[in-house]
Amino acid sequence: MIEIDEKKLIPCPICSAVNIDKGKKNTCRRCGSAIYHHTSFSTEKSWAFLITAIIAYIPANIYPMLITNTFGAHDGSTILGGVVLLWEHGSYPIAMVIFFASIMIPVIKFLILFYLLISVKYPIGKDKKVDKHKLYYITEVIGPWSMIDVFVVAILAALIHLSNISIVAGTAATAFAISVFFTLLAAHAFDETLIQENRNL
Amino acid sequence: MKLENEAALDNLIICHQCYTLHQEVPIKDGSKACCSECGGILYWYDTTLIDKGLALSITGFIFFAMANFFPLVQIEILGHEQFITIPKTIFSLLDNGFYIVGLLCMFLIFIFPLMIFMINMILFALLKLKRGEQWTKDLLILLAHITPWSMPDIFLISILVALVKLIGYAQIHIGIAFYSLIVFVLIDLYIVKRVHISEIWMLRKRIVWEESKA
Ligand SMILES: [Zn+2]
Ligand SMILES: [Zn+2]
Repeated sequence: MIEIDEKKLIPCPICSAVNIDKGKKNTCRRCGSAIYHHTSFSTEKSWAFLITAIIAYIPANIYPMLITNTFGAHDGSTILGGVVLLWEHGSYPIAMVIFFASIMIPVIKFLILFYLLISVKYPIGKDKKVDKHKLYYITEVIGPWSMIDVFVVAILAALIHLSNISIVAGTAATAFAISVFFTLLAAHAFDETLIQENRNL
Repeated sequence: MKLENEAALDNLIICHQCYTLHQEVPIKDGSKACCSECGGILYWYDTTLIDKGLALSITGFIFFAMANFFPLVQIEILGHEQFITIPKTIFSLLDNGFYIVGLLCMFLIFIFPLMIFMINMILFALLKLKRGEQWTKDLLILLAHITPWSMPDIFLISILVALVKLIGYAQIHIGIAFYSLIVFVLIDLYIVKRVHISEIWMLRKRIVWEESKA
């Protein structure tokens, strides 16, 4: 018989096996993966990825995402410009999809990760019944959908490359893809076991 | 809380969505256990999991191959015909110097989805043959690492968005690969929803390996 503190039980991020938290160095008893917990640099990695993502998000909004060449004339449009253009043309559903995928989701993810990373170090909203696990789960689910615009640009560029009319990807496509990539990395690097509230009743 | 030994921790499960600790209970074949706090699915119990998984991963693999070989969409613009395939979309990015986006797309919509279905095929085949105790472990770990990075579903929606943008400018013909991709994505979603990696671990634990018998 062994006595276990229920608050010391943590799931393995790789195989979800329940493990006993042994302090600094945890190895999963089932798959052998490292479970980082309570190390001195618990959130630094996630912070670094998040800041890189936010920095990359700036050029992603300034430079053109898509450049249309029609009969020698070049016409670039930014993410927001593209949304406005679609809206003006009456393509409301598509404008909404792009707006959500390229603007709302990245910003929501930045804010949630920002909040989570700060709140696990400082007691912000500790008594305010904010369900942080739910917030983290939301970022996990919605995160990849911000890739839509990058894929759309890739498809249009591959499809339309005539001598008179062609579409090419802009600098923002690279910046945006980097931003999404690092946001996903930041979310994966976040140690969910740092959330101490509502743990195991 | 008192437990027999560390292995008894296998009877416990922590909800993926809300982190509540639960005790695993035996449930009816083909049914699921849900979290009492948030309603999220904790696990399924399904005795046909191995056969189902094997059949679905082989079918998915065939549809993925078809989705890559044939044109996704064909358009007619200014009297010219143009078509794209999944590899062509990726290579067009690389050819135009968009190496980062090109490589990222190559992994997200080609390499990772392909790897997931190949891993699933090998994994379920090994589990069925009751062989490869170490192999199945390594494959399960690899699978957990790449699953969040596979995005064929998002690519499918992107094709639809791109096509809607082209309405009015070009005549659009949907290719065989597009329908294959839809089937592939549906199978992929079903597997992600129904076959949790932790269930394969539980299943793996119950197996009496052929090697250890000999
Ligand atoms: Zn593990
Ligand atoms: Zn739950």
